[in-house]
Amino acid sequence: MGSRADMLYEECAKRPEGTTFFQRDLTSMQIARDLNELLNLVADLSNRHLLKPLQFEGEPCWKLRPKDIADKLRRLVPDERLLYQHIDNAHTEGVWSKALRAKTNLAQPTVTKYLKSLESKDLIQAVMSVKTPNRKMYLLKHLKPSEDVAGGPWQNEGDFDSALIEVAAKVVANKVQDETCERVAGSWNSGASGHRQAAIARKKAQVKGVPDIEDALPVQPYYPPIDSGASRLKHKRNPPYPTTIILARYLNESGLLRGKTVRDSDMELLLDMMVMDGTLENVSASTYRTVIPPINQKYNGFVDAPCGVCPVFDLCSDEGPITGRTCAYFAEWLETTSEEL
Amino acid sequence: MSYTQRQTPIYSQLCTLLIEDMYGELPARVFTVLDRFGRQRRQDISRASYLEPSQVAHGLIILIQQHLIFHSPATEPTTWYEIDWQQSYALIRVGKIVAFIEERFDKKFAYVASNLLTLGHVSLADLREALFPPSEEEEEVVNGKKANGTKPNGDATSNGQTSLANGTEHGDPDDETLASPEELYGIIQTLMEHGWVIQAAEAQYLSAEEMHNIARQQALNEQWGGSVPTGTKDKDRLAQLIMANKRRIRDTWLEKPTSFPMKRKADDSSYGSRKRTKINGDGSAGGSDQTPEDDLVIRINPEKAAVAMRNRHLVSLVEQRIGDTTARLYEILLRSLEKNIPRCFEEHPDPPPTNVEDQPQWEPNPDHVVNTKDITQRAKMLGVDICEGLDPHYVARVTKTTANKEGVLAQPADHSSLGFHERQELVEAHLELLVIHPLHFVTWHARGQYRVDFDLLSKSLIQQEIETTVLAKKGNKARMVIRALVRKGRVDERQLCNAMMTSPNDVRTLVSDLTLQGFVQTQEVPKVDRREAKLSLHLIWYDTQRARDQLLHNTYKGQVRHLQRIAFEREKVQDLLTKANRTDVAGNETKYLKQTELDDLKKWKEVQEKLLLQLHRMDDLVAVLRDFYGPLLTA
Repeated sequence: MGSRADMLYEECAKRPEGTTFFQRDLTSMQIARDLNELLNLVADLSNRHLLKPLQFEGEPCWKLRPKDIADKLRRLVPDERLLYQHIDNAHTEGVWSKALRAKTNLAQPTVTKYLKSLESKDLIQAVMSVKTPNRKMYLLKHLKPSEDVAGGPWQNEGDFDSALIEVAAKVVANKVQDETCERVAGSWNSGASGHRQAAIARKKAQVKGVPDIEDALPVQPYYPPIDSGASRLKHKRNPPYPTTIILARYLNESGLLRGKTVRDSDMELLLDMMVMDGTLENVSASTYRTVIPPINQKYNGFVDAPCGVCPVFDLCSDEGPITGRTCAYFAEWLETTSEEL
Repeated sequence: MSYTQRQTPIYSQLCTLLIEDMYGELPARVFTVLDRFGRQRRQDISRASYLEPSQVAHGLIILIQQHLIFHSPATEPTTWYEIDWQQSYALIRVGKIVAFIEERFDKKFAYVASNLLTLGHVSLADLREALFPPSEEEEEVVNGKKANGTKPNGDATSNGQTSLANGTEHGDPDDETLASPEELYGIIQTLMEHGWVIQAAEAQYLSAEEMHNIARQQALNEQWGGSVPTGTKDKDRLAQLIMANKRRIRDTWLEKPTSFPMKRKADDSSYGSRKRTKINGDGSAGGSDQTPEDDLVIRINPEKAAVAMRNRHLVSLVEQRIGDTTARLYEILLRSLEKNIPRCFEEHPDPPPTNVEDQPQWEPNPDHVVNTKDITQRAKMLGVDICEGLDPHYVARVTKTTANKEGVLAQPADHSSLGFHERQELVEAHLELLVIHPLHFVTWHARGQYRVDFDLLSKSLIQQEIETTVLAKKGNKARMVIRALVRKGRVDERQLCNAMMTSPNDVRTLVSDLTLQGFVQTQEVPKVDRREAKLSLHLIWYDTQRARDQLLHNTYKGQVRHLQRIAFEREKVQDLLTKANRTDVAGNETKYLKQTELDDLKKWKEVQEKLLLQLHRMDDLVAVLRDFYGPLLTA
């Protein structure tokens, strides 16, 4: 009988991994002579944990377990086995240890103990959930945690993979810059640069003699300083602005993520982050372009003065150790001396 | 109380410092009494201040002349005095206003404006006599304040005095001397047309509360015969009428008198009278000394400065974010609208309707629409190089040439020799840059027309300034926190981390830091009826209005510190300054002062300039935060 059961197992093992067997599948293997024997064989295999009994739409069915795992399972104590079953049922979603306790009605120390032992036997794994960061989720060792638990491509072991994000952001930023901007030589329009115009204007003024007040203009003619050597980044006019979908495809094709795929929603997350970061800006809801950084970044009157970035600003008052008179930062900024206390 | 009338201790300290700086100790003392005790009668002030009644009277006169305090209407038996906080702070902008007017018109206009500012308000006849004294010996005294017509900015030349009205350098005296009273009238008329000068009126001395009462009484008398209505509908109607009355009272100040003393009109192109008003019209105007409009009392429009500041701020923002040439075009665009905009936001809006369906449809303001054609023409007149700052490939296409990969044109484009259509296309391209920018500096309105949505812009300007401040103070990650909260609303820590794609540990420190600074708020919502940290939701949120108030308060504080520091630095060199200001030394500094003293003097001037510059830049920030948009309602 044992050998027959083994034969059945071998026969099932020939099928593709993960196949679900119904009664009709097992009968059609023609190993058991009649239904009774088949039931015995299945019961035997189930007892040896080689078959995992399941139900599909009220019909009993089975799945194969690898022999080594079945071996380990046979050596478990009943409570351990119970826990294992519950964890097995949770599939890739995993199950929280507290939920296990509730389901199994075991005491907390027992649960902890057996979970530890299961873990040491390489049967289950613990994963930090992304959704609920302080929950340990348990699932079978050979399973890959689902996205709900492990997070999208940006996450690794329940935390954001900052190195990966940084690299991906850089690649995307470069792509967007290629699409929406171009480097323009400083002398692109050298024949008619501001210098020449300024010269013309001067000439005109000389010819006319004293500039008449009638020509005084409310907006003064202004020639931006032109550095003919430096090339500058410029936005292209009406380029095909890259969208989330295009960028997601680009990143996936770049092969940068080593097997992980970025869905559109993942890409949107990254792009949103980059907009907040100040690298990109939205042209419309789902199209992006590069932010060209200003040549000379100015903040505002408050933070450009020492007060705006003063670490003791809230302590500064009219009297006391920190005042406008005794301020060390003012002294540094103005290159003068402050009152000594 | 109106939003702009709110006052905090630091703000009142700032105003007091400004008044002391401008008008000396006596008015400042009276002012502080009013600040400490609020609405006061004259005898109360003298009791609280230990000043002689005559001194109090003198102080009050100065404050009233400069519109720094309100007083109750003359019809009341006793007169109450109250501080006009908005005006008191506006002292810091005196120099700016003069500079704005000079930039828009010319030095003569600036000269008239600085006189008007010195005088507070003045009748046309008095101003004429002040600027054109009947004879040399008889110096005219206008309303208790000397206006000697030659030095409008107080003692701008003396070394020690911090003159806040440092906007203009009176380098070339010939440039600003007016030729005739007619020219003065022309200037006044132009300034009134552009909304820089308005009529002074009794009602401007009314505090917000008294103004409200008068507007309310008017509405009651007109509609309900003096009795107070009871129905809900009537009450809504009353609230509406009150606001309408307030607006009406205010709008009468802006009216120009129909018959101006002069016969010719100042050049009235919508772009401002850049041309000198022509004097040689018909001679009949000059002869008469008495004109019917001599009684017209005028003053500078305090609200107009904010409009000019908003435009300047927008232009500088475009300069940073897009480019110089586009900024020039934007400046032209905004200037052409400026005449139509008397103020940045409506201080007395209609109360919002109670049910949402009644919400009036938002309609673009036709006053804020410009034609591309006009902009193109003005850009040509000003010689703006409209080829600059665009995609070279596009310029190449418009000018029918080619550009290589680096964007170098095969045939250089000279903006001054472009045809009308090419010009228009290039200008449109610049405007398009403004349109697609995330801040939406302009909006497409109709074919060949663009519109500026000032209200939306003003709101995003406030947000921009807050973000800039956070960026400078705490770095990019902190700014990300703010931006993420703006996008996501009220979130818990995990959601915030997800939006920022950062680990909770990094976010936590940032959030607590920003909370301490008052930029971000946290909130604890218990999930069960026990208040246990574990069983509560911890939410993080951001409210623009709160952050705005916080930053505004900090900026005031920074300004106070700067003024105090100026005083301190002056104290250090006081002896030297006294020496340098001696009549024999002034003008001959190199002759009488030692080299070390000269160096110290130079250093002091540098220090003062640096501090004053920063003070005025902080004022720019105050304008963005406070004066461009009314209170933001939070949901």
